[in-house]
Amino acid sequence: MVPTEEARELVLAFADDELCVGQNHSWWIAVGPFLEEDLAFTSIAQDELGHARALYSLLSDDIDHLAYSRTPPEYRSAHIAEFLCHDWSWALVRHVLHDIGEQIRWSAITDSSWKELAHTAQRALAEEHFHVQHGLSLMRRLLSNEDGRRRLEPVILELAPYGREYFVDPGHGLVDEGVLTMSMADQEQEWVKQVSGLFDEFDIPVDLNVEIPAFGRSGVRSKDFDLLHDEMTAVIRIDPKAQW
Amino acid sequence: MKTYEVFLKKEGKDPFSHAGSVDAPDDELALTYAREAYGRRSEGDQMWVVRRSDIIIADETELKMADRKHKHNDGQLLAELRRTAPSGES
Repeated sequence: MVPTEEARELVLAFADDELCVGQNHSWWIAVGPFLEEDLAFTSIAQDELGHARALYSLLSDDIDHLAYSRTPPEYRSAHIAEFLCHDWSWALVRHVLHDIGEQIRWSAITDSSWKELAHTAQRALAEEHFHVQHGLSLMRRLLSNEDGRRRLEPVILELAPYGREYFVDPGHGLVDEGVLTMSMADQEQEWVKQVSGLFDEFDIPVDLNVEIPAFGRSGVRSKDFDLLHDEMTAVIRIDPKAQW
Repeated sequence: MKTYEVFLKKEGKDPFSHAGSVDAPDDELALTYAREAYGRRSEGDQMWVVRRSDIIIADETELKMADRKHKHNDGQLLAELRRTAPSGES
């Protein structure tokens, strides 16, 4: 099928989220909290960049251009994906919120009428299971500990509402066309259910209905985007023909 | 943190072999870390993760003492023993 403009917007936004989160996770290479976590977290970073690559390649043959060379308003990333999170509690909370959402988002396209997209989703979903498991295990472990909870709770309260931006609907025809088998609204509801369920276990009074000033899907970038973009384009600016 | 030992096996006749160790706060994370540290490039089709504290460790001195010539039971050594020790001592 020839994907509609709405379907392409859906994929572009997803790819941009994965690019930003993958780039942000990779900041932790060699400075993770301990060796095993360092390896696991940055391996997830690689997976996320792989997802971005797979999604961009559904839209264009020139994926480097899509990833690195658009103007800031042309990106569609959610602000929560762009935040630098150079503090481990922020990085971990974002990882959990992102991957719970990502698992739902892949599930909504594994049977997509856009066959190449469905194929990409089926492959990614297998990896995604491990990402979620990793995030949840560590999060539950740290929330069961007084010091961990003291550090994580304020971050959870502040960051969690931003996760809803992942589910901004790029258009209303996606379910009718079969691109999505679960509407963005239903995906959002599922995410809210899972995230609330997790934090209810620990009596953390997270309010996911707080209005957040994030309009990443409309082309408005967050305060952290410029720094993130500078870092991810450092190589291509020195050598536009670099292969890696 | 606890230390875990990780073993991997490829499909086929090769037995499980020791891949390395990981430190983790619990069994669930030990599995996750073991997979990322030693199995993320499909180095194995099967993985065992064992708490190091559950391993029964033999005495090293006794093990070194166990190495005797007559335990190396191949034909060449026996033939050599017959030549050099006709009385049957080893």
